[in-house]
Amino acid sequence: MNTGYTLVICEKPDAARSVSEALAEGESRSEQIEGTTVYRFSRKGEYFVVCAAQGHVYGVSDPSAERTVYPVFDIEWYPSDLVDERSASAARRISAVRKLAAGASKFVNACDLDVEGETIGYNLLKYACGGKEKGALRATFSTLTVEDLVKAFDNLKPQVGQELARAGRARHAIDFVWGVNLSRALSQSALVNGHMYRTVSVGRVQGPTLRFLSERELEIREFVPIPHWRVMGTFERDGVKVTAAYARDRIETKIIADKIRRECVGEEAVVASLRRSLVQVGPPAPFNIGDLQKEAYRAFGYAPSRTLQIAERLYLGALISYPRTGSQRLPLSIDYVSVIQGLRRIHEYSAPAAELLKGELKPVQGAKSDTAHPAIHPTGEKPKRPLEASESAIFDLVVRRFLAAFGSSARRELTEATISVGAHRFRLAGGRTVFPGWMECYGRYAGYRDVEVPSISEGERLRVVDVALEERFEQRPPRYNQSGLLEKMEKEGIGTKATRADIITTLVERGYVSGESMEVTELGLSVVETMTKYAPTIISTDLTREIEGKLEVIEGGRGNEAELMRETVRSIAIQVAELNANEEAVGREIDSALTATVAKSFVIGRCPVCKAGDLKIIRSRATKKRFVGCSNYSKGCRTSAPLPQKGTIRSASRSCERCSWPIVYVVGGRRPWRLCVNPNCPGKKRP
Amino acid sequence: MKCPVCGREAIGDLCRYHAEAKERVLAAYPLWVKAYGSIEWKDFLDNVKRNPQTGQWAKEIAELLEG
Repeated sequence: MNTGYTLVICEKPDAARSVSEALAEGESRSEQIEGTTVYRFSRKGEYFVVCAAQGHVYGVSDPSAERTVYPVFDIEWYPSDLVDERSASAARRISAVRKLAAGASKFVNACDLDVEGETIGYNLLKYACGGKEKGALRATFSTLTVEDLVKAFDNLKPQVGQELARAGRARHAIDFVWGVNLSRALSQSALVNGHMYRTVSVGRVQGPTLRFLSERELEIREFVPIPHWRVMGTFERDGVKVTAAYARDRIETKIIADKIRRECVGEEAVVASLRRSLVQVGPPAPFNIGDLQKEAYRAFGYAPSRTLQIAERLYLGALISYPRTGSQRLPLSIDYVSVIQGLRRIHEYSAPAAELLKGELKPVQGAKSDTAHPAIHPTGEKPKRPLEASESAIFDLVVRRFLAAFGSSARRELTEATISVGAHRFRLAGGRTVFPGWMECYGRYAGYRDVEVPSISEGERLRVVDVALEERFEQRPPRYNQSGLLEKMEKEGIGTKATRADIITTLVERGYVSGESMEVTELGLSVVETMTKYAPTIISTDLTREIEGKLEVIEGGRGNEAELMRETVRSIAIQVAELNANEEAVGREIDSALTATVAKSFVIGRCPVCKAGDLKIIRSRATKKRFVGCSNYSKGCRTSAPLPQKGTIRSASRSCERCSWPIVYVVGGRRPWRLCVNPNCPGKKRP
Repeated sequence: MKCPVCGREAIGDLCRYHAEAKERVLAAYPLWVKAYGSIEWKDFLDNVKRNPQTGQWAKEIAELLEG
């Protein structure tokens, strides 16, 4: 083995390949060490070896092999394969780095520049390289383009302070202590005092997030709508009809609504006022990860975790900048001209890019910033491989948002008219875009519709054609969708830009929330109720937000992680003791909710034939195959249907538009697929 | 004692969720009377039960109160 080389540690294998391709003068040689790919090459007379982690290869755990004991406050960092059986490859990666470190004279941490990346690099340098975390150099970059990587390696910086790694390690330790103690307390209580074992977890961010969902769920389930009326007037002049809504949206009683109608019908109306105004609509701020996730949900219905995964693939393909950023700003250090020139070479963007290059390039900047990375932006490079449909969609969204940031303000003409009938007022509003500006770059994502107001003028007299009363009911509050929940978490200051999407996924996986509708299950409600009763601090936003704030102080180079850990342990110890003292009651409540949730998870919807029973997933005792059958079988309903035998079946909580049978998701393989369970559904017949 | 609607632990006659839903249903009745001028208790319950906006627990309470 060569000695005296520079060992570069990247966060992911794709990043390691990009680094070696960008830096190698001459050939870059790849080889397998312990089943992982490493790259060797020379640059400016220096010999480099580049290797990669695969995300976190070290994790926090307790030294005891006993998994039911709690409380646990004695913790250590271990190779991830010892902590989580799904991380089997961690051992090989650590072993490869350890072998390579033995021959290295210089170390470079080239992991992503954020809390998680710093933690990954720090742990490998500390544990696998034999305490090299302090002497290593740092490569900092926001894109994986050749230009940025060369610049980063020409300007390597010493690792100082390592605040991000300290904060990252503290966050992992706190989250482990929090999660392991509460999860064991709840799971053990349910097992000892009930009849079912299942992991019942309450993570530090997961608890308050579940509480938001649960509070909304209660409002929805207890909701009683109150009636009210809307009054709509139809007016006419020279055969042109105008419809306007009564100035007060909501008329509380039918008596008043009838009175308005009586007093308007047959009377003459007059256009009391007509106001047209021009307003400027500035371009939206460049994307940070939260904004991208929300916009991708709005535009394509992608869950936040999916958007993050896709954005990371685009980053590793050097098509966009580092996506886990909180910044909404595009600093001058980004060479706007060359990025937009690059985009001009991509057919879809050539026209708006060429137009922008004619003028001065000054992007709109958002309020949020991030010291490590700029807002998400394209690199200007063309895709080197055909993109999948979802990758193309996110790439298009990022490119168009970036171009829109350089666009001029749009102008919209707004029209507001008031039509009077005696003492009654009706209002009419419309708007149209008269100059698209940035909207042209942002295309279909801009979301402004033109609503034309018929041509009327002030003082004009109109005939009242009709006054209609619409009986309406208050709408119950909507359930959070994934994007709305992400926004709520951001607003409440819980979780980080890197972890929020995963927390939402965990809530679904734990069975606390079901289906796309984010309906909270019995188990989810019960966990919140139990915690509210016995350990309210754990699901309060305050404590989580306070810890988040202190971790940010540590990231900023101040604060003391040991003190924060001590405070957290104190809080958890008190809450766990309270749960312990009430173990029997806690166990009974959780167990009964577990039983109800498991039973409900087999129900996929109402039987469309007898309309009284539920269609349930049943496993045949004879064939061991699963199928759908009606719970009303004993009363004579023989409805049944076959099911796919592979994958997990989840109710989609909705019925088929063609035949009213329930729809399910079959989860397995790359992506879940939707299926109407009716084998004779007209939608399945070939023409 | 168990809640007669859902089988959860009851505090008084109902579990805390159905008790809260019952309060909501009872509080809504005078508002419906005011909105329509008049409405019979039975018609109110029937309408609440059939309204797609009514929450699941409120519907269950309307059914229970209908007897």
